[in-house]
Amino acid sequence: MGTSLPPKEANLFKVIVKSYETKQYKKGLKASDNILKKFPEHGETLAMRGLTLNCMDRKAEAYELVRRGVKNDLKSHVCWHVYGLLYRSDREYREAIKCYRNALRIDPENIQILRDLSLLQAQMRDMAGFVETRRQLLTIKPSHRANWIGFAIAHHCNYDAAMAVQILEAYEGTLEDDYPPDNERYEHSEMLLYKVTLLQESGAPEKALAELNSKESKIVDKVGLKELRASLLVALNRLGEAEDVYRYLLDMNPDNYGYYEGLQKCLGLRLQGTDGYTPEQVEKLVELYTSLRAQYPKSSAAKRIPLDFLQGSQFVEAAKTYIAFFLSKGVPSLFSDILPLYDQRGKADVLEEIVLQIETSLKDTGSLPGGSYVEPPPTLMWTLFLLAQHYDRRRLYGKALEKIDEAIKHTPTAIDLYLVKGRIMKHAGDRVAAAALADEARSMDLADRFINSECVKRLLQADLVDLAEKTAVLFTKDGDQHNNLFDMQCMWYELASGDSYWRKDMLGKALKNYLAVEKHYTDMLEDQFDFHTYCLRKMTLRAYIRMLKFEDTLHSHRFFCRAAAAAIRCYLKRHDTPPKSSEGEEEIAVAGLPPNERKRLRQKMRKAEAKAKKAAEEKAKEDEALALSNAKSNKKGSQVTKQVDDDPDGEKLLQVSDPLEQAIKYCKLLQENSSGALETHLLAFDIYFRKKKILLAFQAVKKQLKLDASNPNVHRNLISFFNMVDNLPAAETPGEKLVRQVIAVERDALSILGNQPLLEVNRAFLEANKDSLLHRAAAAEVLALLSPESKEEAVKIIEDSVNPPVAEGGAIAAGVGEWVLKDCVAVHKILLTVMKDENAASRWRVRMADLFPYSTYFVGPKSSAVVEAASQVPSSVSK
Amino acid sequence: MVCIRQATVDDLLAMQNCNLLCLPENYQMKYYLYHILSWPQLLYVAEDYNKKIVGYVLAKMEEESTECHGHITSLAVLRTHRKLGLATKLMNAAQRAMQEVFGAEYVSLHVRKSNRAAFHLYTKTLGYKISDIEAKYYADGEDAFDMRKDLKPKLKVDKTAVASVAAEVEKLAVSDAKTDPASADVGAAAGKKPAEKAKDEGNNPTAKRGKGDKYQGVVAANGDKEQSKKGGGAGTKIVPSVT
Repeated sequence: MGTSLPPKEANLFKVIVKSYETKQYKKGLKASDNILKKFPEHGETLAMRGLTLNCMDRKAEAYELVRRGVKNDLKSHVCWHVYGLLYRSDREYREAIKCYRNALRIDPENIQILRDLSLLQAQMRDMAGFVETRRQLLTIKPSHRANWIGFAIAHHCNYDAAMAVQILEAYEGTLEDDYPPDNERYEHSEMLLYKVTLLQESGAPEKALAELNSKESKIVDKVGLKELRASLLVALNRLGEAEDVYRYLLDMNPDNYGYYEGLQKCLGLRLQGTDGYTPEQVEKLVELYTSLRAQYPKSSAAKRIPLDFLQGSQFVEAAKTYIAFFLSKGVPSLFSDILPLYDQRGKADVLEEIVLQIETSLKDTGSLPGGSYVEPPPTLMWTLFLLAQHYDRRRLYGKALEKIDEAIKHTPTAIDLYLVKGRIMKHAGDRVAAAALADEARSMDLADRFINSECVKRLLQADLVDLAEKTAVLFTKDGDQHNNLFDMQCMWYELASGDSYWRKDMLGKALKNYLAVEKHYTDMLEDQFDFHTYCLRKMTLRAYIRMLKFEDTLHSHRFFCRAAAAAIRCYLKRHDTPPKSSEGEEEIAVAGLPPNERKRLRQKMRKAEAKAKKAAEEKAKEDEALALSNAKSNKKGSQVTKQVDDDPDGEKLLQVSDPLEQAIKYCKLLQENSSGALETHLLAFDIYFRKKKILLAFQAVKKQLKLDASNPNVHRNLISFFNMVDNLPAAETPGEKLVRQVIAVERDALSILGNQPLLEVNRAFLEANKDSLLHRAAAAEVLALLSPESKEEAVKIIEDSVNPPVAEGGAIAAGVGEWVLKDCVAVHKILLTVMKDENAASRWRVRMADLFPYSTYFVGPKSSAVVEAASQVPSSVSK
Repeated sequence: MVCIRQATVDDLLAMQNCNLLCLPENYQMKYYLYHILSWPQLLYVAEDYNKKIVGYVLAKMEEESTECHGHITSLAVLRTHRKLGLATKLMNAAQRAMQEVFGAEYVSLHVRKSNRAAFHLYTKTLGYKISDIEAKYYADGEDAFDMRKDLKPKLKVDKTAVASVAAEVEKLAVSDAKTDPASADVGAAAGKKPAEKAKDEGNNPTAKRGKGDKYQGVVAANGDKEQSKKGGGAGTKIVPSVT
């Protein structure tokens, strides 16, 4: 290091390194100046100067200098190491690994470089390389605890838990008997527990248990110890002992459902398959939970769990007690707690009866059924509250609103009532009214962020994006809302906001929001980096291993899937409708308005434009002034200056030369991480179909068929794929011919096609699914595609659909139609955009307005669309 | 009704979401990772019957202080899940682990002066006492009560003087970019630099702010303002294999 320099300069070089490490970059630069004055081509100095500049946000210079340094001194491990660090700072890990390897070729035993390399290997999941690097580190420095642990972890990650155990045992062999000292008790305890889980994982539960027992006194995490012991005893079928441990744990925390589950397992009361418990099991369970309730009178778990397995009169009695207890306590979450019961046949009806009885009793006598104690007024309010949610779930929106209104009349100050009413309105299809209600709730307690969030969500659902932003700002610093919600990774907001912009057809803004979510996941993947070393030191190895698994499956998380799918849809739409000029946009905005309105809107738009322009100019001036003052005060200007968003509307994001290529990028992430989701393959098809990538599109169809062959979207894709193939021009190149052959062979093999013409396949599909609205709509769409002259028939297929009443005993009230609003809206859009039959669409709208009277989309008679329009009539008439 | 259990890494995204819905003090995912990878026993969640996370407690140990003690970083319960005593149960679980696993002498937390409901929970239900007032602790300028609760029936050690100094030190540490907790690598050369320095400073807005200064529903909402500390110095050190 600093080789080939005279002593004075060699010292200066040390100053550079030191300054870099202590972040005194200016000092480092000065020192490098002094060396370079005499030795302008000194490689290591050039490299270090580059690395220093990199920290001062002068990237281009940094790369240039470091590269020059490497070039001038190819034999210096310092230069290569620095080059690796530079790449690492830009998250270019593969390149960084190459540099480190070059450095190690020159200095094979450099611990720091080996350590840096091992981090990158862990990050990139190059587990074989990780093992090797860790082996070298341990060989060079076996006195260092972290090297033992690191070697063990590496083997564990490389699927060799047994080897990891051996290494930990060898390490333990180096310790004194009285280890650990007081200040390392926790670390040692974590290591021991990790070792036990390794033994468990390597299929040696007996050894694991023995190890746990012999080290018990050194384990400080008593809960972790007991939980591990219980699961090991269960694995060894020593159920009696396991039961004792679970009872001990329950004693400590009678609210942990996992312990109840474990206890049931020990008593042979485990749920087998989907058939539910046998009568003998139920009998034993009743006994068990009766005693547990007596033992833990405060635990709600012991009261709630039996509702899952009890049936008939036993269920009625238990549910009565349960519901009455929590209504009297005034617990607002009671409904969501009993909600899972609605999926069990017949229980929804029973619950309805019970709550109605309570309502009647409270109204008649002021007491709960069979009680003599007069309940305070809130009990009735909570009962009405529960009933409203109950009817909402059963899709009886009229009744639900009746009950919630009664509750509001009873206690107009209870905020929760408004939130629930808003939720009912949303389910019923009136998002505008839902937003208004949520805003009313918000105004009742401005300091509660939860209500604020709920309100923002509703506003976004009603596509009132600007108002939503203004409302969200109330809880973020400086009113600098966007940056703040983004910095804090507030993904629910970004998704909801993106969805709203999507509905408003503002693709750029929508895309910007979705890609923000994607960015958070990239950052979270990055977050693990620092912990590769940190956890070796902290010895939190069990948590570390779980973290690695979490990161490996991070991109299957639902927020990511939603964002990626939505971003793909934006790109697809951009591909289908290429950009228009800005004047065109204006035309769209004013289209469909009466002439005087049109004029007014145009004027308004122009005014807004002028205003925005002026504001932008002022802002630019301010920024300039700010930058100037920063420069004067000589502070870290780059960090003080606010980052200016140069693409607030996401237009640049949208203006990519090939939107489908971008879509493929995100689609690949979905294919890698969510291959079990049908949507992934539907999107893949949409992309590759447009790209004319025949084999990839077909692959997507095959995946779809495997996941859900009777799904209407799958049917549509299957037929439109082969229709496309049938209409291709004759194959010319040998490659094309080969593709056609492959497809032909595959086509013959598809049993679902049965070697029938596509029209026939479609007919059979319709016949097999004639009672389902969405299947009929898909069949109609396919018919119109295959035979455009049959469009009338296709429209008739849709219009002839009947809405069957649901069967008794389910979650939804008997007699309510099966159709849901979302599907009916989708069908309306098919009539409008695919069939292009405005009359049919209009007939559909009228029919649906009757079925969904609260729907604003269908202009239902009870929706705010009608109510508002009615209130506006006088003013427009007076004009 | 609601399950109280230790959090795992897989709960962190839901915890973050819960925090963002309820509280004005928010943190990036890395800060949650830092907690669970440092003190995995101190994070608890409340999970409802539909497997939804409806509350959590995020806590840590103050290891650099003279007296070993725990600290509640953040505690939240969704407004929809009030009246079940979840905040109390979460706090008790975390406190118990602090004492049992880490041998904490006491536990501290910050609460907004105006947050009467949270104050009530801490004093009346959980037995915390005011130890100090931190002026302008929150970004909006509001003061915080520094509250404490003893976890051990103490053998009176004469540490009162030390304690008040410790409180001062802590206060400084909060407003200052603290030394990287990961910097004390056993055996490694000292003076590691926190990785991603630029990020450290650029991301600073993390924790503090908020007009939502009132008690959030029946949810304890102290919201620690301390900046998201980075998990570990990744060791950007160039080791001159000094010869």
